Amino acid sequence: MRVSERCSKSSDSTKKGALEMETANDNGLTLVETYYKDYGCRARALKQVGKRMMGYISAAVPVEIINAAGFIPVRIKGDPKEAITKAYGSMETLVCPFLLNAFDQVLKGRYDYLDGIVIPHTCDSVSRTYEVWKRNFPLPYYHFLNVPHLDGAPSLEFFTQILKTFIKSLEQFTGKEISKENLAHAVLAYNKLRQAMRDLYDLRRPDQPLISGVEMMKLLVAVKALPVDESTALIRQVAKEVKGRKTSSPQKPLRIMLLGDQIDDTALTEIIENTGAQVVVDDISVGSKLYYADMEATHDPVDGIAEYYLEKVSLPTFYRDKGGSYDENLELRFGHLKRFVSEFDVDAVILLVYKNCDPYGFEVPATTSYIESLGKPAFYVEDEYSSSSSSLKTRIEAFLEMLTQERR
Amino acid sequence: MAEERKQRMTATAAAAKVPKMVRANFTANLKAKEEGRPVAFSFIVNCYDEILRAMDIVPAWAESYSGICAAKHDAGRFLEKAQSQNFSRSLCTYATCGLGFEYWRNELGGEMPPNAPWGGIARSDFILGTGQMLCDPRYKWPQAVQHYMRDVPAYIGGFYWPPYDENIDQREVEHYYLKYAVEELKGAIAFIEKQTQRKMDWDKLEEITDLVDRTWDMFIDAYELRKARPTPMDTGDAMNTMVPLAFMLGTQEAYDFYKDLYDELKDKIERKEGVAEDEKYRLLWGAGLPPWFALSDFQYFNSKGAVFPVERTYREAERIDRLRLPKLSDPLERIALRWMRYWTHWYDAARKRKGSIPEVERLIEYIEDYQIDGVVFHKAFSCRTWHSGILLQAQILKEVYREIPILVLEGDIVDISSYNESATHLRIDAFIEVLENLRNKH
Repeated sequence: MRVSERCSKSSDSTKKGALEMETANDNGLTLVETYYKDYGCRARALKQVGKRMMGYISAAVPVEIINAAGFIPVRIKGDPKEAITKAYGSMETLVCPFLLNAFDQVLKGRYDYLDGIVIPHTCDSVSRTYEVWKRNFPLPYYHFLNVPHLDGAPSLEFFTQILKTFIKSLEQFTGKEISKENLAHAVLAYNKLRQAMRDLYDLRRPDQPLISGVEMMKLLVAVKALPVDESTALIRQVAKEVKGRKTSSPQKPLRIMLLGDQIDDTALTEIIENTGAQVVVDDISVGSKLYYADMEATHDPVDGIAEYYLEKVSLPTFYRDKGGSYDENLELRFGHLKRFVSEFDVDAVILLVYKNCDPYGFEVPATTSYIESLGKPAFYVEDEYSSSSSSLKTRIEAFLEMLTQERR
Repeated sequence: MAEERKQRMTATAAAAKVPKMVRANFTANLKAKEEGRPVAFSFIVNCYDEILRAMDIVPAWAESYSGICAAKHDAGRFLEKAQSQNFSRSLCTYATCGLGFEYWRNELGGEMPPNAPWGGIARSDFILGTGQMLCDPRYKWPQAVQHYMRDVPAYIGGFYWPPYDENIDQREVEHYYLKYAVEELKGAIAFIEKQTQRKMDWDKLEEITDLVDRTWDMFIDAYELRKARPTPMDTGDAMNTMVPLAFMLGTQEAYDFYKDLYDELKDKIERKEGVAEDEKYRLLWGAGLPPWFALSDFQYFNSKGAVFPVERTYREAERIDRLRLPKLSDPLERIALRWMRYWTHWYDAARKRKGSIPEVERLIEYIEDYQIDGVVFHKAFSCRTWHSGILLQAQILKEVYREIPILVLEGDIVDISSYNESATHLRIDAFIEVLENLRNKH
């Protein structure tokens, strides 16, 4: 059955069919392809049988709380292959191009199955356009999550209160209490997901990675619009499938780490991998940033959730400083990259930052010099939320060609 | 020369004093550095004014210096330096101008970049930033600039205010915002004490907090005199007269400045002396930082009989009694709550008018109080915080209030390459025509 047919089947499925976890008797990678190409199709199908969907933006939203409230969290993404046609009249072009594109997708009905949207305070583009979303895409529920940018004890306590206000607003919306048990269950479920994803990342460590960067990108995207248990099962299924692969090429490819924010399309990875290089690890906000630490199961789960997002998710929206020297702070901000370079045997790093992105944009010199201090070349590109521009392709190919020449 | 004389006639004497005051601020930080007194890299509306003044710390105002470079049409070379470091041209140009400057200074081994406008800005002993609702560069710029001054420590405090939500009364959550902000202010004091080996003088802090309250009141009292017809002062001047509020808050000089401005405006009103020779249209500068390299555009408006008796930009103060603050004895609580209530005190009005939002309520308040005929927004391409959401505000204003002519100008705060004077003037001409046609209809 062709992918498009599978997805439309999924959307039209009967109540019974839609409720079945589709990974059980299925080919994981094929299903990933389906969910990637028709992002949200599973969520739409589940909506038809009465499940409730909560959209959210960015990696800073605690999906555990959304899950505990009885919603399936759906990460809102754009479609870089599609031109913006509807958003211009209501959102300024000076904002983050990803956000503009995602908003355009929303206006085009891509997320018509959502019951609400949660928007966090991650950057000026996001926070200043909160009312624009509310006004132009009215839904029964909206919440602005005032995530602080700092870590440390006062910020943690403050964020805990912010999360409690969020929980209260969800309770009011659903008319149902969110118990500590609900939250603890959600924390556990997402930790399982994180562990499964890390196990899959491990399969990229061999000289010949068992899963390509393109396949991985599709999976990272696909699981953002699935129930958590389905996501975990899907990841495990994919891991099982790729473990059986036999590697034939004797030559070790150039091993690339991809850095950036919401890179949620395969175009850039395709450019890289079409040259023979391979993306073996990432530090992007739909990828490893979400999976490389577990959430602590604290007595009050809200404490663990607050601590996880403020201290463990490495987004440039969070300012990390424990009062040490600049170099010590660099380790706090980028130390995980050093581990990735070593553990995944990275040869070079490509950093993609979208235009108009203040949090990432201000970090470029520090990030690239940190990578270079590890003895690895770092290549920075700025682009719109459209990873397939011809100039981008030419520049990346030239960079990789240069590295290949050096290797010979 | 004739045109220059005419501009001076319309400007207030208070505004004319400001360039010297700004220069004095920069001389002060350079002198302090020479004498070994502590200098702090600072940003306006960051909540630290009272603390800095109470501890005799000399602020080196980062955005102000970029604004000066822009006004002198000398920001390009610093922007280029920043770009050479891979700072995108789309980032806040206050920040990239400043970052280019510090990168260059670092490249020169600590020497001031050649021919730095007004002698440059002192290399700071420490950096004070904030994570807050106002803008990202307030914590990302400090972090980025440390790359070029690695020995300079930074303190970033969190000063958030409750966001507007029609279903959540901000007073229900205010207590934990306040607690957090007070903790962060304490953190700032501890940081400065550590850096300077000076102890906070709490009595002095309290006195300065009182002085800031009085300065806010005097600022508003003076600015509200601009309601008069003809208006005695417009936004062209206000882009100067904001300096004591933004950069000198907590000093007696700032208070005295607004007292003098108040007296001067009273006098002008008595003499019926307006900004424009023949005041025809009263406009609101609805939002947006100004193009510092093209402030003469305000005079262009004036030459068409259009004046700006009020603006939202740089009016970060309110009469204290309107904030309904409870009696608090801790100066840090007073500083934090004053700040929070300033931002949230339009929320109730927004809840009362169906479909409205606080930003629009603020516009409506000014439109009514200052008898406004049209609204002008300025959209600076490099600043997302002020300039995202302008389209929505304009739309809601028309929906919940009334049809009112709106002009959205486009440009930047520092980057002159974004500006085209003749195109801007053509747009202003067309807007004036709209106002004229509307008036003729009535």
